[in-house]
Amino acid sequence: MKQKNLFLSILYTILPALSVVCLFILWYSVSNQRPDLIPTPADTWERFLLTFEKPIMRLSFFEHILASLRRVITALMFSWVFGILIGTVIGWTKTGRALVGSVFNMLRPIPPLAWIPLITIWFGIGEAPKVLIVIIGSIVPVIVNTQSGMERVEQLYLDVGRVFHANNRQLLFEIALPSALTTIMAGIKTSTSTGWMVVLAAEMLGAKSGVGFLITRGMDSGDTALVLVAMIAIGVVGALLAVLISLIERMVCPWLRKK
Amino acid sequence: MSKLQNSNNKKSLGKTRYALLSAAGILGFLAIWQALVMTGIVQEKYLAAPTEIIRLFFVKLTDTAPDGNTLPFNIIASLRVSLTGLLTALLLGIPLGWVMGWYRWVDRFVTPLFEILRPIPPISWIPLTILWLGIGLRAKAFIIFFSAFIPCVINSYTGIKQTSKVLINVAKTCGASNFVIFLKVGIPYSLPITFAGIRVALGNSWSTLMAAEMLASSAGLGYMILMGRAFARPDIIVLGMLVIGVIGALLTGILEFAERKIVKWGGRKQ
Repeated sequence: MKQKNLFLSILYTILPALSVVCLFILWYSVSNQRPDLIPTPADTWERFLLTFEKPIMRLSFFEHILASLRRVITALMFSWVFGILIGTVIGWTKTGRALVGSVFNMLRPIPPLAWIPLITIWFGIGEAPKVLIVIIGSIVPVIVNTQSGMERVEQLYLDVGRVFHANNRQLLFEIALPSALTTIMAGIKTSTSTGWMVVLAAEMLGAKSGVGFLITRGMDSGDTALVLVAMIAIGVVGALLAVLISLIERMVCPWLRKK
Repeated sequence: MSKLQNSNNKKSLGKTRYALLSAAGILGFLAIWQALVMTGIVQEKYLAAPTEIIRLFFVKLTDTAPDGNTLPFNIIASLRVSLTGLLTALLLGIPLGWVMGWYRWVDRFVTPLFEILRPIPPISWIPLTILWLGIGLRAKAFIIFFSAFIPCVINSYTGIKQTSKVLINVAKTCGASNFVIFLKVGIPYSLPITFAGIRVALGNSWSTLMAAEMLASSAGLGYMILMGRAFARPDIIVLGMLVIGVIGALLTGILEFAERKIVKWGGRKQ
C-alpha cells in the first residue's frame, strides 16, 4: 500500500512535466516534417531574435507590445471608473436600473467586435477609436459585476447601518461598496482579459503597431514564424496581466487571501 | 389581511412603475437617436435613423445589395459556423473537464497543456488556422471551437471538483464504484456551474464569430457589417449589429430555458 502511494505521488509529480515535454515533441516533429504548416521551434526562436535587429514598421518587438499595452491600459482605466459608476447607478437606485439598465441590457448582447465597423466609420482608424472599442468590450463585465454586487448586499448590513442612523451616502460608500468589492474585482479581472482580447482584434483589423498588427503582418507576408512569435508574446503578456490583477485583488480584498 | 393586500398593491404598483420607466429608458434612447439623425446633428453618412433601419430590415430580407447576400442567408451562414464550433466544443470540452476534475492523473497531465494554451486568445489562432484548414467553414468553426472550449472545460472542471464530500461518502457507503459515483453524483452536482460555462462559451463563440467573419469570409453577419463599412453604409452596419444582438439574446434565452428543464432542482441561485 505504502509503495503504491509512493508510486502514485511520483507519477503525479512527473505527469505535468511529461505533458509539456509531449507538447514540445509534437511541435518539434510536426514542424520538422511539415515546415509549411508550422515553423520549427528553432526557426521561431531565430525569428524572435531577428525582431530586435530588424524592426517592423520602425518599431522593435517590445515597442509593439508596449503600443498594445498602452491602448489596453488607457481603456481599462476608463472602463473601471465609468463601469463602477454606471454599475452603481444601475444596481443601487431603482430608477437608475429602470432607465439606464434597460438601455444597457438592450446594447449588451452586441459583441464588442461588432462595433468595430461603426466606430471606424465615425472616428477613422486612429488611436482613439481603438481605445474606444476596447472600452466597449471591457466595460461590460465591470458594469454587470458592480450591479450584481450592489444588488446582493446583505440586507442585514444595511439594516444595521440604518439603525445607527447612517445616511444614504454612508450606506453606499461604507457598506454597499465595500461588501460588493469582491464581485467588482472579479469583474475587473474579466475586463482585463476581455480587453486584451479585443485590442488584439482591433489591431488585426487595421493598425500600424501592436501585437495584433504583428500577427496580420506575419499572415500577409507568409511569415508564420512571426505569427507564432506574436502569439507566444500575446499569451505571455496576457498571463502576466492576469497575475498582476490577482495581486491587486489580493491587496484590495485581503480577506480573500485565505482561499 | 388588509395590510398585506396593501403592501401587495404597493409592490405591483412599483412593478408597473418599473416597467414604465424601463420602457421610457429605451424609448427615450430611440427618440434621441431618431432626433439626432433627423435634425441633422449627426449626418446620415455616420448614422441611420431607427425608422430607416426598420425599413432596411424588410428590404434586406430579399435584397442582396451591397454585400452580395440577403439577410436570412447571412444569418444562416453565421449560425451554421458558430453552432458547429460551439457544439463541438460542448461535446469535447465538458466531458474533458469532468474527467480532469475527477481523475487526478488526467488532471496532472492535461492541466499544464491547458494552462499553456489558455492565455492565447482564440482570435490570434486565425492565421495558423487559415494555413491549416483554408478559409472555409472548418477554419472558422475551429476558431470558434477554441473560444468556446476553454470556458466549457474550466467550468465543468470547477463544478465537479466542488462535489460535496458527504454525497460521495454516502454513495461509497452504498457500495458504488468510483465510476458510478462520477456518473451519478459528480456530473449532476457539476451541472449548474457547467451551464454557467456554456453561457460564457455561447457569448464567446458569438463574439469570436465576428472576428472570424471580418478577417476571412464571404458571407455572414460579420462580413455584412464589414461590407457596410467598405461601402460607407451605416444603416447596413447598425442593422447587422442589431440582428447580431437579437440573435445572441435569443440563443441565451434558449440556453436558459434548456438549463431550467435539465437542472430541475434549481442549482443556480438568482
